[in-house]
Amino acid sequence: MADTALTSDQSLPGSRFQAGEVLNRIVLWAVFLTLSVICVYPMIWLFLNAFKSTNELFSASWALPETWRWENFSTAWGYGISRYLLNSVIVTVATVAIVLTLSSMAAYALVVMKFPAKVAIYMAILGGMILPPEVSLFPLFKVMAATDLYNTYFALILPNAAFHLPFTTFLIRAYMVGIPPDLREAALVEGASEGLIWRDIYLPLCRPILASAGLIAAMGVWNEFIFALTFVESDSVKTVTIGVTSFAVALRADYGIMMAGLALSILPILATFLILQRQFIGGLTRGAVK
Amino acid sequence: MSRRFAISRTPGTSLHGWLWVAPTLVFLVVFVYGPALANVRYSLFSFSAMSTSMEFVGLANYARLLDDPIFLQGLANNALYALISVIFQVGVALTLAAVLEARIFPSFAANTFRSALFLPSILPVVVVGLIWQLLLAPAMGLVDQVLWEVGLGDWSRAWLGDPDTALLTVIMVSQWQWTGYIMALFMVAIRAIPRDLYEAMELEGASGPRIFWNLTVPGARETILIVTIITILGSLKVFDIVWVMTAGGPNHSSEVLGTLMYRAAFRDDVIGYSSTIATVIFFIALTIGVVQIKLQKDR
Repeated sequence: MADTALTSDQSLPGSRFQAGEVLNRIVLWAVFLTLSVICVYPMIWLFLNAFKSTNELFSASWALPETWRWENFSTAWGYGISRYLLNSVIVTVATVAIVLTLSSMAAYALVVMKFPAKVAIYMAILGGMILPPEVSLFPLFKVMAATDLYNTYFALILPNAAFHLPFTTFLIRAYMVGIPPDLREAALVEGASEGLIWRDIYLPLCRPILASAGLIAAMGVWNEFIFALTFVESDSVKTVTIGVTSFAVALRADYGIMMAGLALSILPILATFLILQRQFIGGLTRGAVK
Repeated sequence: MSRRFAISRTPGTSLHGWLWVAPTLVFLVVFVYGPALANVRYSLFSFSAMSTSMEFVGLANYARLLDDPIFLQGLANNALYALISVIFQVGVALTLAAVLEARIFPSFAANTFRSALFLPSILPVVVVGLIWQLLLAPAMGLVDQVLWEVGLGDWSRAWLGDPDTALLTVIMVSQWQWTGYIMALFMVAIRAIPRDLYEAMELEGASGPRIFWNLTVPGARETILIVTIITILGSLKVFDIVWVMTAGGPNHSSEVLGTLMYRAAFRDDVIGYSSTIATVIFFIALTIGVVQIKLQKDR
C-alpha cells in the first residue's frame, strides 16, 4: 500500500514533466525548422527561377520550371559575370596577402619587441576598427583622382587593406601572445634574425589564426561595396558586387537571365561553404572569445 | 628580468620595433586617419568636387544639418536600425545559440540548423538586397504569392515602394542576413563556459530559462558587450543594403546617414555638406568606441 502510494506519487509529476518536455521539444523543432527554411529557401528559389522564362516567373514563382533553360546561365555568363568574378579574385587575393603580411609583422613586434610608445601605437592601430569607411570616402576619392589610382585594382586593394589591418592585427596579436617567448630567445642566442624568427617560427605556429583572419578579411573584401561603387568605373576592374548591380539594371526586363546571373555570382562562395561548412563557420567565428 | 633589460639595451632595438609596425601605421594614416581628418576640415567649407577654390563657411554646414528634416529623419532611421538590430542580433541570436548548445537536438540536427541559419551571412550584401527585391516584388515575388495562396491577399503590398514599410523591410532583411552569424559567435562563447556548471544546475532541476539567465548570460557577458557595440556601429555605417534596395526612398523614408552622405557627395555635388554628415558619423562612432573602452576597463 505504502509502496503503490509512493510510486503513483512519483510517476504523476514525473509524467506531467515528461509531457511538458515533449511539447517543448516539438515547439523548438518547429521553430528551428521554420527558421532554417526561411534562411535557405530564398537561395533555392533563386536557383530554380534562374531556369525560367519571365512569363513562367509571374505565373508561379514557387513551382519547378516547365523546361530547364540552361541557356539563361550561358547568356548571363556572356554579360560579363566571368570578368567581374576574376576582378574580385584578384582584388581579394592581393588585399588578403598584404593584410596578412603587414598585420603579422605588426603583431610580432607588438608581442615580442620592446620599443617606445608601444601601447600608444597598438591603440592607434586598434582605433582604425571604429572608423566607418564612409568617413574617409570623399577624401580618398580625391586622392585616387589626383593620383592615377582611380579606376585601377589598387584603388580597391589599398583602402580595403587599410580598413582590414586593425582587426587582423588584433586577432594575430592575441594568438601570438600564447606562443612561449623562449622559442624566440633560444633562436636569438643561436644568432637568428628577427625576420627569420618571424617567418620560420611564428608564422608556421600561427597558421590556424592566419587562416581564420585571412578568411574573415577575404569575405569582407569579396563583399565590399562602397569603395567598389566609388573608386572604379570600367567593366575591366569592377568587382562582382558592383558588376551584379549594373547587370541587374541592364536586365530589368529579363528576370530569368538576371537571376541566373545572381546565381552564378554567388555559386563559388556557396559551393565552398557547402563543402567546408565546419571550417568556414569555425574560421569566421574565431575571435568571438578571447 | 636581467635578460629583458639586456635586450632593451641592445642598440637599435627600439628603432627596429618601429620598423615592424611602420607599414601598418603608414597604411592607416594614409587611407584611414588622414582622410578622416581631411573630411572634418572639408566640413567647414562649401565647394563642389571639380571646383578649384573652396569657400570657408565655418559652422554653416552644421547649422544647415539641424534645419534639414531629411537629415533628422536619417538620424532617427539609423537609431531604429540599431535598436531592432540589437534586439535580433543580441537578444534573439543569444537565445537561439543557447537552445542549440543545450543539447536538445541531436548533434547532426543542431549542426544543420547552425549551417542553415549561418548561410545568409556568407552572401554579398548587394546580392542579398537584389534577391529580396525580387522576393518582395509585387505579383512576381514569392512573398506576395504566398500571401495570396494562404488567403492573406489583403496584406500584399509594395513593401519597398510604400513609405510606411520600406525602412522596416530593409531592416528585417538585414536581420535575416546577420542573426545566424551572430548566433554562431554566441555558440562559441557559450561553449567556453565550463560544462560542469551546466550539469550542476541541471542536477538541481533548474529550468531552461533559469539556466539561461543565471549561467549563459553572465558567462557570455564579454561577448554580449562586444556584439552589442559591433551591432550598433554596424547600424551607424549601414549603406549598401539600403542603397541597393531603396536608395533611401520612397520620398526619403528609408534614408540613413550613409545614403545621405553618399548622395550629397556623388549625386548632388555638395561636398562640404556631405563631409559634415560624414563628420557626424565620425563623432558618433568615436563616442561609441570610447564607451566600449570605458565599459571594458570597468570590468
